[in-house]
Amino acid sequence: MTPKNIMNYAYYPGCSLHASAGEYDLSTRELFKALRIGLTEVPDWFCCGATPAHNVDELLSLSLCAKNLELAEQVEGDLAVACAACFSRLKTTQHVLVESDAKRKQVEKAIDAPVKLDSKVKHLLEILARDLGLERLAASVKKPLKDLKVACYYGCLLTRPNDVTNLDCVEAPTIMEDVLKAVGAETVAWTHRMECCGANFTLSRPGVVIQLTNSILESAKEAGADCVMVACPLCHGNLDIRQKEIEGVYSTEYGLPVFYITQLVGLAAGLSSDKLGLGALIVNPMPLLKEKQLL
Amino acid sequence: MLLSSETMDINFVRKVETLSGTSVRRCFQCGKCSAGCPMATFMEHPPNRVVRLLQLGQWQRILAGRSIWYCASCETCTTRCPNKVDLTSIMDALRKLSWDAEGPSKESYVQLANKLFLQNIRTYGRQYEMRLAAVFNVKSGQFLKDLMLGPKLITKGKLKMFHSKNKNMSEIEKIFSRIEEMRKKGEAL
Repeated sequence: MTPKNIMNYAYYPGCSLHASAGEYDLSTRELFKALRIGLTEVPDWFCCGATPAHNVDELLSLSLCAKNLELAEQVEGDLAVACAACFSRLKTTQHVLVESDAKRKQVEKAIDAPVKLDSKVKHLLEILARDLGLERLAASVKKPLKDLKVACYYGCLLTRPNDVTNLDCVEAPTIMEDVLKAVGAETVAWTHRMECCGANFTLSRPGVVIQLTNSILESAKEAGADCVMVACPLCHGNLDIRQKEIEGVYSTEYGLPVFYITQLVGLAAGLSSDKLGLGALIVNPMPLLKEKQLL
Repeated sequence: MLLSSETMDINFVRKVETLSGTSVRRCFQCGKCSAGCPMATFMEHPPNRVVRLLQLGQWQRILAGRSIWYCASCETCTTRCPNKVDLTSIMDALRKLSWDAEGPSKESYVQLANKLFLQNIRTYGRQYEMRLAAVFNVKSGQFLKDLMLGPKLITKGKLKMFHSKNKNMSEIEKIFSRIEEMRKKGEAL
C-alpha cells in the first residue's frame, strides 16, 4: 500500500511543461510523489495567455486566467503552479479583479460565470519552502548536495511586483537559497539573480536574449558557481538551450549546467537521473554530478 | 514647460490611465524606471521618456516607435517606482492602443510573435511550440532562424512534432468571441 499523502494540490503545469520543459514536469511529479505531496492535474487547463496576451489585450489575458482558475476549482486543494509566467498571470488576475469592479464585470461576461478569487495560487517553490517547510524538506534528504555551488536564479516574475506575488522580499529574496541549503547545497552570492533573461524574445528577437543571458551566465561563473538553478521554463530555455550559441557569440566557455529546482531537490531526495529527466538538459550535467559524487 | 491639459492631450492620457489603472500624471521623472530597465538599451525612448512623451501629448511618437515592443514586462519599473506608477501596465495599454490601430510601429517581429501565440491558443488551447516557431520563421522570412538548435531539441524530446487540441476548445472559442462581441457593442475597450 502506498503511504498516504501529507498534502494535496491541484496542479497547473502550463504549456511548456508539456513540451520543451518535459523534464520539469517529470521531476516535479516524481519529487512530489517521493515527498508524499499529491498533485492532481487540472482537467482541460489551457494556456494562461502568458506575456503576449496581457501585452496587447488585458481583457483576454484576465479572462483566460479566470477561466483556468474556475477549472482548477474542480480539484481539491490550493493550486500548484510550476512556471513563473503562469504563476504571475494567475496571481495578477486575482489581484486586478479584486481591485477593479469594472474589470471583474467584463471578465464575468467574457467567461459567462462568476469569477472565483478565493483559491490560493502557489508556486512550487512556496510549497516546498513553506507548506512542506524547510525542516521536513531537510528530513527527506538521502544524499546531501555537498560541495555543489549553486547560483539561484530568480528571474523576474516570481517576486515582482511584490504586492501581487507576495513570494519573498522583492529586491533580496532568499527562498531559493533557503531550499537549497536545507538539502545541503552551497549557494553563491552573485549580481544577476534577478535580472531579466529576455524571456519570450527568444522567438521574436533572440539577439536580445543572447545579450541579456550572457551577462547572467558571466556573473554566475564569476561568482564561482558550478551550476545555475531556476524555477521557470522560459528562464531555463534561455540559459540552457541557448548557452552553446552564447558561448560562440562571445568566444567564451561557461559550461554551466542549468537545473530546475525540482531536479536538484529530487537528487538530494535520492531520485535517479531518469526520474528527474537529467538526460534532457542540453548542457550535460553528468560530469559535474559525477565529480561531486551525486550520481 | 508647464504641463496643462492642452499640452498633454488629456483624452489620450485618460484612455491610457483607464486601461492601465494607473496614473501617467503622477510621474515626476526621477528616471528610476529607466535605470533598472534591462531593455532600455534596445529602446529609442527608455521608460521614463515614454511617460514624458505621454505627458507632453506626443503619443504618436511612442505608438510609431519600437520602445513599447521592446519592453519585456519584467516588472522592475513597477516594483521600484517611488510614486507607484505601474509602468508595466502603461506599456500594456500603449501596446494595445498601437495593436488596435493595426501597428503603426516598425517593430513587426514582436507583434508577429504575439499574434501567432494568441492564434495558437484559439486553435489548440495550449501552445504548440513547434508550430509557433515554424510559422514564425516562415512569416518573418527568416527560414534558417534557430535551425541549428532543431536536431538537438528533437533528440532531447524538447520539440514535440505532434500536438493534440484541448477537449474544451468550444469553451475557449467562446471566450474569444464574447470579447469580440463586447467590443463591437462598445462594452469593453
